[in-house]
Amino acid sequence: MRSLDLKLIRDLRTMKGQMLAISLVMACGLTMLITFRGLIVSLETERDRYYSENRFADVFCDLEQAPNSLRPRLEAIPDVAAVETRIKGAATLDIPGMDDIAEAVMISLPDERPQRLNLLHMLRGRFPEPGSRNEIVVGEAFAEAHAFMPGDTIQAVIHGSREHLRIVGIALSPEFVYELPPGAIVPDNKRFGVFWMNERELANAFNMDGAFNNVVLAVSPGGDINRVKEELDRILRPYGGRIAYDRSEHTSAEWVEMEIESLRAVALAFPIVFLAVAAFMTSAALTRLVRLQREQIAQLKAFGYSSRAIGLHYSKFVLVAVAAAILVGAVGGYLAGRGVIVLFHQFFRFPSLTFHPDYLAVLLGVVASAATAFLGVLAAVRQAVRLPPAEAMRPEPPAKYSPSRIEVTGIQHLVSPAFRMALRNLERKPWQGLFTAFGLAMATAIPILPGAMRDGMDYMMDFQWRLAQRQDVTLGLIEPGSYTAFTSMRNLPGVVEAEPFRSVSARISHGHLERRISLSGLTQDARLNRLLDAEEQQVPLPLSGVLLSRKLAEILDVGPGGVVLLEVQEGRRPVVAVPVAGTITDFTGIGAYMDIDEVRRLMGEGRTVSGAHLTLDAAEWDRFMVKVRESPRIGSITRTRAARESFDRMMGEMFGLAQAIYFGFAIVLAFGVIYNGARIALSERTRDLATLRVLGYTKREVAGVLIGELALLTLLALLPGLFIGSQMASAILEAASTETTRFPVVLTSRTYATAVLIVLASSLVSFAVVGRRIHRLDLIGVLKARE
Amino acid sequence: MPDSADKHTTPAGSEPLFEARGLTKIYNPGTEAEVRALDGVDLDLFESELVVLLGASGSGKSTLLNILGGLDVPTDGTLDFRGESLTEADERALTQFRRETVGFVFQFYNLIPSLTARENVTLITDIARDPMPAEEALALVGLGERMDHFPSELSGGEQQRIAIARAIAKRPDVLLCDEPTGALDVKTGITVLEAIARVNEDMGTLAMIITHNAAIAEMAGRVIHMSAGRITEIHTNTERRPAHTLVW
Repeated sequence: MRSLDLKLIRDLRTMKGQMLAISLVMACGLTMLITFRGLIVSLETERDRYYSENRFADVFCDLEQAPNSLRPRLEAIPDVAAVETRIKGAATLDIPGMDDIAEAVMISLPDERPQRLNLLHMLRGRFPEPGSRNEIVVGEAFAEAHAFMPGDTIQAVIHGSREHLRIVGIALSPEFVYELPPGAIVPDNKRFGVFWMNERELANAFNMDGAFNNVVLAVSPGGDINRVKEELDRILRPYGGRIAYDRSEHTSAEWVEMEIESLRAVALAFPIVFLAVAAFMTSAALTRLVRLQREQIAQLKAFGYSSRAIGLHYSKFVLVAVAAAILVGAVGGYLAGRGVIVLFHQFFRFPSLTFHPDYLAVLLGVVASAATAFLGVLAAVRQAVRLPPAEAMRPEPPAKYSPSRIEVTGIQHLVSPAFRMALRNLERKPWQGLFTAFGLAMATAIPILPGAMRDGMDYMMDFQWRLAQRQDVTLGLIEPGSYTAFTSMRNLPGVVEAEPFRSVSARISHGHLERRISLSGLTQDARLNRLLDAEEQQVPLPLSGVLLSRKLAEILDVGPGGVVLLEVQEGRRPVVAVPVAGTITDFTGIGAYMDIDEVRRLMGEGRTVSGAHLTLDAAEWDRFMVKVRESPRIGSITRTRAARESFDRMMGEMFGLAQAIYFGFAIVLAFGVIYNGARIALSERTRDLATLRVLGYTKREVAGVLIGELALLTLLALLPGLFIGSQMASAILEAASTETTRFPVVLTSRTYATAVLIVLASSLVSFAVVGRRIHRLDLIGVLKARE
Repeated sequence: MPDSADKHTTPAGSEPLFEARGLTKIYNPGTEAEVRALDGVDLDLFESELVVLLGASGSGKSTLLNILGGLDVPTDGTLDFRGESLTEADERALTQFRRETVGFVFQFYNLIPSLTARENVTLITDIARDPMPAEEALALVGLGERMDHFPSELSGGEQQRIAIARAIAKRPDVLLCDEPTGALDVKTGITVLEAIARVNEDMGTLAMIITHNAAIAEMAGRVIHMSAGRITEIHTNTERRPAHTLVW
């Protein structure tokens, strides 16, 4: 065996370029597999561990106010394992150096006992002392954004009264893995934070002594969550209970799931493409090698080597390629995975999110790609060893050719012999050509996804913040107010335009399908917060009936003309059946929209408002903010531009990285496929090419013959590649589309041009590399020997 | 009559086409594997003559042919073609020389398998300065009927005749044939030799045939014997035998 291994090493050395190309493509596939699968496993593992160790609740419910004496009744609900009643409220924060106000959600901590559910993971400092004043624990993301440390103080307006809060601890919570300001789609850690405070103190601030307005429950394993929710709804109804919901509708939990889902969407498709292409490349390269070494194989057999030994020898080539790929892929996947985990930390706050490779998936990927490559080699080796040695030692009979089918058209009279050679070679080995074209098509397809995501994101931002939401600021009142509240908002300094809205939380259902939503009442002539269809045209608000987000209509399986049931969770809690008047296009969240007067009528109210959308004179901003800060009734302020900026900042980095990685992979794939194809073509045609050189063809002309065929394949691959890429991008974006965010599929000429350029540039480079070999053709040697 | 003394004797009394002086080719010089393939060859070759180069394997005849055909360059010595130096020509000039001036015929035909007989010839007529139509070249070697066949559909002799048609289609000044009958049986070999002879006579092309088959020498005007990289003997046949009368 030793001398065969020596032969292996020598042969590998002569085909090192090709082996490198194969290993790199395979390594890309493995890198992706390891990165994506690892991220999924890491997120899932950490999520499960964190949720279970920190006792993340299963059911959540907000209410207006209920006495603490109600707690035993909640604990008595069948299947409930633990109950935590809490006080939850909002605070506006005044942070020195910020021209904006920040907001915090404040959550109570039990005074004299440990938490039962949603346990904080304390990073720094301590819990507030029982009976202490104004001590708070701050969520890590907000603390980090402002470089707050235990001991720092924050000025806050809580329920209309100004307080100096002192940070005593910095913590994480399983219910705020993804810290999202209400109504936003990306974290804005500068403007939104989560604070925890002693219950008694918070009860004082919100006038809730002996009462609670938020409850979280743990359901015992195997318990019936839906029954628990129903029971909870029933008990809390008299206390202004909103609809109870489980983790599937919990903002933070939902976003974590969405991230995992979107990783799943890419985790399989792309690695499979790379591994499949690499398997084919290996098979093609080794089939060629076996054919070239036909006579050597015959000699080995004549010497008494068994077919098995010879088969094993050629299998080792695959083994080397796979081993190199595993090495590079493992290191690459591990480093990429760790890098992405660091980026994830900006969005997802887990106590110890570290990268864990998914060994099983990696093993499967390796075995599958190695097996495919082995199978390809096996066929060639079997063919070679089956011949009796004496016959195999004679050269193969000359290749049989026939006019290519396309020549029926008479095209041959128009094209050069070189082009004819290319056509006939392709037709003689259609599979080889087809796979090369397939590889190139995939290389063209891969950059489409990041391009589509980037353009989709741009479109989404433009749609959301230039066409649909044209306000500069949205103010929300702590409690719904009368029309005077609206006029006073309209009269704030600098306000140019103002538009009131009335929104209520409601359960919307159609048959057994239901969702918790916010029902927004808007004015008929809305100019700021506009409802648009997919063609960017304003959808008229019906005088009666409701407009639904298209995604919501899809979830409820209802269309225009259908009827949905609305159960409002506020005020007198009306329940009405409403016709669906139409759907609107939006890309984040799901919502239902009605005429503002309809909502008021439904609620049995006068001209109430929940807040106002405003456009402002930028010069008046400071004066505007002073007034807003002074106003105790304003509970929230959302700046559209700030939202867009934070979105840009958070997503830009993520997408920049993703795009660079996809482009890199596409380049490796295109280069690998073409280089491998060119080397095989060169090896198959060395004799022809050298003959042409002898006959007086220049190097350039000879290179043209070789490259013509590959160029033809490249050109043939581009259009299908763009098509496959578009389909793949649409499918992946569709799979990653959730109730929280949906990416529009936007395919621009810029994306297509980038994809084409990547493939053409990679092709040119590999042509240049192979072209150099034409300079070294052995003109004399080739004439001396038969092939 | 053997004539090895006066190398300047011209069969036709004209200026030589090739003029080689002291041609030397050493492979792997200065190493243990050093091979002196040509060792100071002086030779003149003239228009319209048919020369047979005889010698055993390793005698240097292929090396000489390769250098004459611009496929290789000598280590030492000079080679002129029509008074122009080939030894000083660069790669590009040699390619041009092969393209315009030389027709090659090889032992293993070296046809492009993916092109038909006609297309293999077109390959040359496409790039030559003043070629004859491919059909005419094929007719000259008696293959007018099988022009649209692929090499794999033709016999060895037919393939070699395509190679000759390909070589002559550019109306070369020189036709260099390296063991053109080496892979063929006697009968087929003779048809190939006839084709070469016809080209030589009809077109006035200098034809040089390398062989180790002494019988072929009888059709030549001059016969050059080589051994160990040197010309050992040149003799002129007083009477050239037609190819079809040869036996071996």
